[in-house]
Amino acid sequence: MHDFTVHHPQSLQETLILLDRFGDAAQLIAGGTALMNFMKQSLLLPEHIINLQRVQGLQHIQSTKDEVRIGAMVKHREIEKSNLIQNEVPILASTYRRVATIRIRNMATIGGGLAHADPAQDPPSTLVALNARIRIASISGERTISIMDLFQNYYENSLMPGEMITEVIIPSMHSDTKSTYLKFLPRTADDYATVSVSLIATLNENIVRDVRIGLGAVAPTPIRATIAEETLKGHAISDELIQQASNSVAQQVDPLDDFRGSADYKRDMAIVFTKRALQQVLQGPS
Amino acid sequence: MISYNVIGQPIVRSDGFEKVTGRAQYTGDLKLPGMLWGKVLRSPFAHARIIRVDTSRAVGLPGVHAVLTGDDTRGVRYGRRLFDVPPLAEERVLFAGERVAAVAAESMEIAQNAIDLIEVEYDPLPAIADPLESMKGDAFLLHPDVNDYVGLPKKLEKVSNVFVTNTWGKGELDTGFAQADHILERTYTTPLVHQAYLEPHSCVVFIDEDQRIQIWAANKAPFALRQQLAAAIGVDEDRIRLNPTYIGGDFGGKGSPMDVPLVYFLALHSKRPVRMVMDYVEEFTAANPRHPSVTTVRSGVLNDGTLTAWEARIIFNSGAYGGFKPGVNLGGARDVAGPYKIPHTFVEAIQVYTNSVPGGHMRGPGEPQGIFAGESHLDEIARILGIDPLEFRLKNLVGEGDVTATGSLYRDVKAKETLEAASMAARYGSPLAMNVGRGMAMGARAPGGGETHVGVIFQKDGTVVARTPILDQGTGTYTTVNQVVAEELGLSSDKVQIIPWNTDAVSFDTGIGGSRGTRVASQAAYAAAQNAKQELLRAASEIRGWDPSNLVLKDNKVYKGNTEDYIDFDFVVQNCGFDIQGTSGIEDREQLTVTAFCAQIAEVAVDVETGQIKLLRFTSAHDVGQVLNPIGHQGQINGGVVQGIGYALMEELEVEDGRVSNVTFGDYKIPTMADIPELRTVLVQSKNGVGPYNIKGIGENTNTAVAAAIANAVEDAIGVRVYSLPITAEKVLAALRESNV
Repeated sequence: MHDFTVHHPQSLQETLILLDRFGDAAQLIAGGTALMNFMKQSLLLPEHIINLQRVQGLQHIQSTKDEVRIGAMVKHREIEKSNLIQNEVPILASTYRRVATIRIRNMATIGGGLAHADPAQDPPSTLVALNARIRIASISGERTISIMDLFQNYYENSLMPGEMITEVIIPSMHSDTKSTYLKFLPRTADDYATVSVSLIATLNENIVRDVRIGLGAVAPTPIRATIAEETLKGHAISDELIQQASNSVAQQVDPLDDFRGSADYKRDMAIVFTKRALQQVLQGPS
Repeated sequence: MISYNVIGQPIVRSDGFEKVTGRAQYTGDLKLPGMLWGKVLRSPFAHARIIRVDTSRAVGLPGVHAVLTGDDTRGVRYGRRLFDVPPLAEERVLFAGERVAAVAAESMEIAQNAIDLIEVEYDPLPAIADPLESMKGDAFLLHPDVNDYVGLPKKLEKVSNVFVTNTWGKGELDTGFAQADHILERTYTTPLVHQAYLEPHSCVVFIDEDQRIQIWAANKAPFALRQQLAAAIGVDEDRIRLNPTYIGGDFGGKGSPMDVPLVYFLALHSKRPVRMVMDYVEEFTAANPRHPSVTTVRSGVLNDGTLTAWEARIIFNSGAYGGFKPGVNLGGARDVAGPYKIPHTFVEAIQVYTNSVPGGHMRGPGEPQGIFAGESHLDEIARILGIDPLEFRLKNLVGEGDVTATGSLYRDVKAKETLEAASMAARYGSPLAMNVGRGMAMGARAPGGGETHVGVIFQKDGTVVARTPILDQGTGTYTTVNQVVAEELGLSSDKVQIIPWNTDAVSFDTGIGGSRGTRVASQAAYAAAQNAKQELLRAASEIRGWDPSNLVLKDNKVYKGNTEDYIDFDFVVQNCGFDIQGTSGIEDREQLTVTAFCAQIAEVAVDVETGQIKLLRFTSAHDVGQVLNPIGHQGQINGGVVQGIGYALMEELEVEDGRVSNVTFGDYKIPTMADIPELRTVLVQSKNGVGPYNIKGIGENTNTAVAAAIANAVEDAIGVRVYSLPITAEKVLAALRESNV
């Protein structure tokens, strides 16, 4: 690996000053699970590494009446194990539990994972379905964006030079909301998804009151299956409705051929797993 | 059964403590004064002419001690048998990943920087990745000079990319097909897969003040490597010494010289010790993975299920070179015809050069490819005839006195017993749920022969040191030697310490491979222990003046006959005035009439909406002699099955434009613990075996039938067959859809 200088800021302010000073020559390191691979393959050659491990104020999991706030440096394993998350946003805990292996989850962080902007990872589709917001800081101030605005393309986020993710904000789920995360793993248990589906729905008797469907690994960014959502909303659940909604995702996905399947296969599997998620949540035991 | 104290016991492995505590030293851990790091620049093109290599900027970089190109190693060719591999490419590169230039520098970073400063101008040429294309008469030649290569088994009448052909068979095929009621022809393909050992290829080469070439290498056949290197660089074997080191996994892949000849030249030019460690991207793109194959089987069978004819042709994609296989071809290919009594057979295996990574050995070389085709084919015939695949196999399997399809005659044949044992353990025939199926496959393998030596030396503290030239690559040969020596000297296992020898110590050792470790090493250890024991008794008799012919070694004591008069053995060692030791040299290359059968049954559930295969359970039956160590034995079975599951369901090095594209374990997946189903093992006891304990081999045939068993289970579950490995969910779904058209 090439030579670089490591910085260990203690505060967010100190971090943002370093980030401002070094610009493109610097990379933030959180868990390092993605960055180290990129550096080993010489895909990134930063002169400066800014280590976030000692930065105060990025480690919290908190809830208020309306939302759950997770600091950018909270590890995947902490989210998976958090009683607060398990109670208030169970789909988030179950999604993080499906990421890679315990060894990875003990290192990888929520902020680092999102900044990596890999649409095949597990959390993005669930956070998209949850309508999460991303808090971003730079030396000149703060802004909060919708998670849909964070992802630009494969491994491309919308952060400007000098900016970093500090917090993920998740609107609270209604107590009558049901959800599931399905990850299709035709090879191994520790693989990336061939397709993944995050489904959050609220029913009124047999009528779909609200539904949000996030799809992962099927496009350059995580996507919302908006046609399927509109097909379902306000309608009575039936096998035909579920099949019709599921079929519609084929129009919205744009997968790549890769080691996890051809684009055609992934398109077909997006339909199958959307259907399975809908059957489980809308027709399964309450 | 003979009762033993140490043999057959679940002894903890001899190298276990050192390995789990991180004390075991591997080649990459070695530090020598002044040692440099070697690095290689590799071709990005599958086929190209090298116009120019400019090393001037690399040479000028501070800390760089040597920069080599093909000009510096011109004319040198090496290999395990066929010498066709250049240390560095000369006029042409023949695969993406081929070495073009190399540096030795004071740190890995400087070496990498120097590599980045080397400029190579290429003229890209058309490349052939497909062996079927490469076989055509109008294909360009990868090796126009192949007939001049050292080690080519037979000169080619017309130079072509097909450089070696082996055949087996008997009877008259035409007669067999003329008798047949049904003739079935099918083609099967298997992928390029990596052995996935933990430790990548690594070596250290140092030319010492006496001009001796000192080598440490992740190579399981150090004496063979010494011969190969000596022949390649034109020095006497005596000048080369391979020093012992731990080897971090093998699975067949650690027998090639790999970078050792190149690193010799780096050491020669830099006049310093040089270390080279491949990274795993290099391993995936440029080591010596298992050969891909295309196999066509044509069979003839009577309505009653009697096989009359079997014709098979296996085309192995050798990649750009053929030097990484000790037999030039892969003899395991003959197992495409299996342990079945078929009167008229012809099997042909050929190796074809293509512009891709050179193939090497992996666990049962040629067998997994052949058995996938052969056992898939048998199963399909049975189903076409409406005969249960179990019954069909039992009808055609060899029994005592029967000759196999390719002419082997074994004694104490346990083929049917082994298959029946697997069937019982797997509850074959019991009802299955929808889309669940069972499939079986068989393999057979005799342990290979070879030569080795062992030395046994009594220590003054009452322990014993056993010396071996074998480098245990993880399969447990040190533990085998330990147990044999402990058994024969009446000691507990912890009193025996294994210290490996370097290549100066004895004349030769064949090295680990071909499931020969236990066969050869146990005989040598037995003989050395007996010799040492005789020496001990002689020393005891001299001290006490007893008749040496009537002494008994028991419980760390030498007894005078059956009396209560004894002398402690450590007293003998301490007071006899000379070193008590025994050595042995064993040469056992006999083609055995003892073999070991393996029958495996997979039970799978198929998700018909996705094509995903879920393995529910996997049963293995083996006929065994004396199991020396049940932990090691079971470990070989479980590990072989798991590796077979990877081959069956997921593993494939994918090649795009001549380049391996999945170059990390994130993209090239091997099974994890969570992917392993319930594994059942049943052992069928056999009286016959090899050597003083009647042993058989277990390392390879645990692995060779797995993929076929799974393919056959898939057909049993859903009625469709996949003819190409790996059997991915996508392939299963495509086959299902095709069958529903």
